[in-house]
Amino acid sequence: MDDQKLDKILNDMDVPAIDENAKKRALNLAMAEFDAHQKEKEKKFQGFSLLGRLMGNHKDKTHKQRRDPMAEKSRKNFIYGGMATAAAVIIVAGIGLQQAPQYSMPIIPSPAETNTIAMGQATSVRGKVSEPVSDVYRQALETRNLQDSDGAQEESMSFVPKTKSTDSGRKRDQLGMVKNAPQKKLAEKEFYDGRAKAKLNRAISKDEAEVDALAPMASSPAIAPAREMLKQQGFASTVPMEEKIIITDDDTVNTYYQDEGRDQFQDFVENPFKAVNAEPVSTFSVDVDTASYSFMRRQLNHGVLPQKDAIRIEELINYFDYNYDVPEDKSVPFKPSVTVTDSPWNAGKKLMHIGIKGYEITDEQPNSNIVFLLDVSGSMNSPDKLPLVKNSMKMLLNSLKPDDTVSIAVYAGAAGTVLEPTKASEKAKIIAAFDRLSAGGSTAGAAGINLAYQLAEQNFDEDAVNRVILATDGDFNVGISNREELKDFVERKREKGVFLSVLGFGQGNYNDHLMQALAQNGNGVAAYIDNLNEARKVLVEEATSSLFPIAKDVKIQIEFNPALVSEYRLVGYETRALKREDFNNDAVDAGDIGAGHTVTAIYEYTPAGATQMVDPLRYGAAKEEKKHNLDNIDNASDFNQEIAFLKMRYKLPKENVSKLITQPVTYTQHGDGEVTQDTEFATAVASFAQILKGGKYTGKMNYDDVINLANASKGEDKFGYRAEFIQLVRLAQSASAMQPR
Amino acid sequence: MSTENEQDLINAAKSGDRRAFEALLNTYYDVIFKFAFKWCANRNDAEDITQNACIKLARSIDKFDGKSAFSSWLYRLVINCGKDWYKSQNRHPSNPDALEKAKTNSDTEDSLYTKQVLHAVHQLPEGEKDAVMLVLSEGLSHKEAAQILGCKESTISWRIHEARKKLSAQFEKEQNYG
Repeated sequence: MDDQKLDKILNDMDVPAIDENAKKRALNLAMAEFDAHQKEKEKKFQGFSLLGRLMGNHKDKTHKQRRDPMAEKSRKNFIYGGMATAAAVIIVAGIGLQQAPQYSMPIIPSPAETNTIAMGQATSVRGKVSEPVSDVYRQALETRNLQDSDGAQEESMSFVPKTKSTDSGRKRDQLGMVKNAPQKKLAEKEFYDGRAKAKLNRAISKDEAEVDALAPMASSPAIAPAREMLKQQGFASTVPMEEKIIITDDDTVNTYYQDEGRDQFQDFVENPFKAVNAEPVSTFSVDVDTASYSFMRRQLNHGVLPQKDAIRIEELINYFDYNYDVPEDKSVPFKPSVTVTDSPWNAGKKLMHIGIKGYEITDEQPNSNIVFLLDVSGSMNSPDKLPLVKNSMKMLLNSLKPDDTVSIAVYAGAAGTVLEPTKASEKAKIIAAFDRLSAGGSTAGAAGINLAYQLAEQNFDEDAVNRVILATDGDFNVGISNREELKDFVERKREKGVFLSVLGFGQGNYNDHLMQALAQNGNGVAAYIDNLNEARKVLVEEATSSLFPIAKDVKIQIEFNPALVSEYRLVGYETRALKREDFNNDAVDAGDIGAGHTVTAIYEYTPAGATQMVDPLRYGAAKEEKKHNLDNIDNASDFNQEIAFLKMRYKLPKENVSKLITQPVTYTQHGDGEVTQDTEFATAVASFAQILKGGKYTGKMNYDDVINLANASKGEDKFGYRAEFIQLVRLAQSASAMQPR
Repeated sequence: MSTENEQDLINAAKSGDRRAFEALLNTYYDVIFKFAFKWCANRNDAEDITQNACIKLARSIDKFDGKSAFSSWLYRLVINCGKDWYKSQNRHPSNPDALEKAKTNSDTEDSLYTKQVLHAVHQLPEGEKDAVMLVLSEGLSHKEAAQILGCKESTISWRIHEARKKLSAQFEKEQNYG
């Protein structure tokens, strides 16, 4: 073959046409990465949920190890495989011991203990491997110390066997087992063998004591495999056992692949203190979503602090149900209750809790026309996604009435209808449809939404609640994937009276930002389902709130009285802030409230005259003073009791003109005992959320204070959500301790 | 895209301009994909490598120092991504089946021969394959290829010489038999 020919072949090599879908996907991913990278340059991340990041030290690895995760993985498999085998042997030994005590070796610490070892090794995939073994090691050391006090002479002969057998004998007594002399003899003989091995070890070892202590372990037939296994891993036998295991640990942790750190959140900063003189009015939209709480829980359960942007304070607070006053009438679907307490964050400041509880539908549930829109793309193919989606949806079926209609649409590379509108009474048919689903392909989210709306419109019922329930990880990569375009699309559909709820699943590539945008523009709620329990909370316990809206576009506006309040800060609701002029503009969209939803907003404010965060104006002050004096003269009795004036606007679900509720807030407004307890708990949650966000405004408050406050105000806690919260605070405490500074 | 325009885009993207980066990516995706395909001769792999390269580019564009041409820098990035990718997949790039599939639509005798040659090229040692791809297929100079692969110009010349020698020996022999 001549050179020209080769050149020609290589030159003319034909490359297949570019797959537009692949291109789009790559571009989207790269853009997301670009954004993340740009953000990273300005911001410090709080860590990703890869356990390896916390526990393994990547820097200690050689270049090759880092570049070659597969080799490491296979080695790891080998090690764990070996461990499992060793553990199984120990279990068998343990069982044998229990069944035939006359053959048992006293050296084995006791059946109960060996079982612990076995369990420990089998279950501790990472991190914990060293514990059970080091227990044995510690025990050996202890018994040795004990022996030392008994006499040095005996030690030279058989210190290990004797103490060990006494030790295990004592244990056996506790277990009510028989011990006898021949048994002990047999054991001692065994131990002399052990001692020989110990001597051998001693010859190599630099650290006599530790190897001595380990010797019996090496001689024990049950534990020998474990030691053998360690040898196979190539660790020198002179290193004390405990240390060896730590090395194993460090070396094998990490590297299974999962999308990491590509969860997308809207970027925002906490609301700052605002001077009442400069900005007396604060306006925001309600937010009944709880997605942020469950996402945080998931991260904390993985042992890392969530990203700061993942924490929306109001969603954490609103995750819990509070006992606010319930309105009696559907026409005024909710009633605000306001409580003022001292601020735990800053001395001299006050907290104003505004609590709203939505009207509960008790008599008859309206009909529902529900379209499930399920993401079955490849990215949903993990146990915490599609299978959880299916189970959650089946749960929701139980909350429906027989007359309700259900349809199922799915989307992956393309969108399709899986189940035409079907009555909820035909449960078997619906469940069968769910069971047929499996995940694969790319994600044409927009096409799916379009189809779901079509289905909903096809079966549109004026009197029913028409709702599309979208279950996805938010990773839309085909079709309209631009956030703005999707928002506009959903917004147009909303006008027709179809509501949209978004249920988020999975993590690693979870697009929270898009989900929030969709739910807010589609008049719906966004929830994040991290486990079946959360699915039950959202879809069964709170089914009425999730399904039946009682008011839409609910806006809150607070005007502070400069005579009594010098500055204020709204805790949370950063992503829901509205302009002052938007309050009266019915065209501006805002949050919705479902039946029985509770919404809590907390303001921290500084009473006039107390130390301020914002310096008072040098030139503005005199003028203000004068004005107040005039005010006081004019209508002194009316206003000087009012801290603020609360205004709320809302629309009934089928109306397009808003209604107004107003209420002055005075110092005398304090709730009864129960409300106060709820208020305290809400304060605890708010404190926690703010500490997770960096604790800019929470003063000296720390996790311990949060735990104390929450414990004191836990109340009845029927479903254990508040207890779980306290547990999460503890997790955050330990996660933050592990955080590299 | 004119070079001046391109330079502006690169600079803007380096300083964090989202749209500039998107435009740049849009143009270069095709370039990257073509090269990745030539390099690994497997459509799926090429798509994955290209995707990884794009993501890597997002992360490292601000490290592009302008000392070499952007395209040279990009070639290097793609080759590295390709190697990393195969390492992570724990398999070797040249998967003959994939090569066959890529070319089945026009199976004349001539194309069969072409296929065999390409297959042989992909069987070359890594350094030689990279050099052959850059110089013979992409038409770069030895100097440019040396820059990209981070070796001396003479090394490139030698590798290409070696590759040609191996290939012609192989096909001479086969043709004699045929």
